[in-house]
Amino acid sequence: MDERFMQALKSAPDPEFARRLRDQLGNEADAEASHAEERPRARWVGLLAPALAVALLASVILFPSVRASAQAFLDLFRIRNFTAVSVNPERIRQLQEGKLDLKSLIGDRVETVIEPGPPQTVASAAAAGAAAGIQVKVPNTLPSGLQPDSVSWRGPGEARVTADVERLNSVLQTLGIRDVAVPMAIDGQKIEVKVPAVVRQSFSAGKKRAEFLQAKSPEVSLPAGVDLAALGEIGLRILGLERAEAQRLARSIDWRSTMLIPVPGNAGSFRQVSVNGQPGLLVAAKGERSGGQMREGAIVLWSRGDMVYALSGNLSEIDILQMANSVN
Amino acid sequence: MQRLISWVGAPEVDWDAAYAEQLPRVYNFFRYRVGPAEAEDLTSRTFEKAWVARDRYRRDLGRFSTWVMAIARRLAIDHFRSRRSHLPLEAGLDVASGPSPEDLAERRSDAARLARMLEKLGDRERDLVALKYGAGMTNRDIAKMMGLSESNVGTILHRTVQQLREGWDQRGG
Repeated sequence: MDERFMQALKSAPDPEFARRLRDQLGNEADAEASHAEERPRARWVGLLAPALAVALLASVILFPSVRASAQAFLDLFRIRNFTAVSVNPERIRQLQEGKLDLKSLIGDRVETVIEPGPPQTVASAAAAGAAAGIQVKVPNTLPSGLQPDSVSWRGPGEARVTADVERLNSVLQTLGIRDVAVPMAIDGQKIEVKVPAVVRQSFSAGKKRAEFLQAKSPEVSLPAGVDLAALGEIGLRILGLERAEAQRLARSIDWRSTMLIPVPGNAGSFRQVSVNGQPGLLVAAKGERSGGQMREGAIVLWSRGDMVYALSGNLSEIDILQMANSVN
Repeated sequence: MQRLISWVGAPEVDWDAAYAEQLPRVYNFFRYRVGPAEAEDLTSRTFEKAWVARDRYRRDLGRFSTWVMAIARRLAIDHFRSRRSHLPLEAGLDVASGPSPEDLAERRSDAARLARMLEKLGDRERDLVALKYGAGMTNRDIAKMMGLSESNVGTILHRTVQQLREGWDQRGG
């Protein structure tokens, strides 16, 4: 049956209307931000996310190769530890305004090898674990009246990223960093990123929310012979650290097993914690709402064996840690 | 790579990208569902509501596009309820003033012809047509959204389009 006539009513929105509405929504967002609205988790995670993207860029993408070989992927990155670094909020703003996020930096240099597909909601944690191929753990203590809300899982994904020295150097230039340069040797090198299936459990009680994610460690295969410390240093400079501090920190981190979490100084604090005897990292929101009430929100990250875990929510640090320690 | 970020940081929806992607779909849903004259107003209200309610969007329960379209559908229902209560007055004014030359020209266009034909459909049929041809949704997604089977959606759409086709041919010839 010819259905072409059914398209007769279709029309693109008037560009002026589209712009006006977009501006209106943007103004509402600005107004909310200036009033320190009541969505602690969404707000502080929003602040952390761009920084996290840059950190991943630093620790995953910017690996130089001294004796690079296109076929040799001998070094392997697996997350065993999490380390936080405090970064200047002004640099985060600069990265955001310059649209220097991960997507815009490498958007056209990523080849999807395996598409993970959309999240699938299932009836139970066990069902999610069976689908994801992992033995799922659940928190046995739910503070603040939290109740299990939903469980979902998402399939594994795999991507291949091609390093682009010219683009990365231009980022350094844009940020006014003129005393480092990305080595030309890594240009065109391919980095393979494998992200295993992830299981996500959600909990809620009124406005309180918590999410527990678990997966096998993501893996990053790198060209052989990379100088991880040197590249880590460049990543830290992008995050706004001074040269001496970036050099000191870059040499002290085991870049093959440590995921770096940048925390904007005005958005959160962090400390090392113990989760069921395993070392973990707790990042907590800080600041006040308009009524003088303290914002609450925290993420705790830890690993055990080949598994990594992340528990986040608009809960107190005590509640988040209690919940994390009850996971088994 | 993006999953690695979301896995740890659970970033919010990229509203700029979501807006750019969903605006034409929502706008055209309303063109088919309620007509071109009120499509912009209802599209604005949909995105305003989506923005206000963004905390309630749960990415693990469905796609963002489906969530926004559910808001649009509820607004369309409210719109028709409200309009029914005002219909006698509006209808009276229309008859009293009569069509302008611009109205007549507009009525001759294919878009206006289709819009007038859609006005004669039942609520469910028009909803289905708007989701399919306005918002560009698949039969499967429409079925999930409306609580119908996929084959049922296909059957109703086929029958409805056939009915419209007959009207189109009769008047357009």
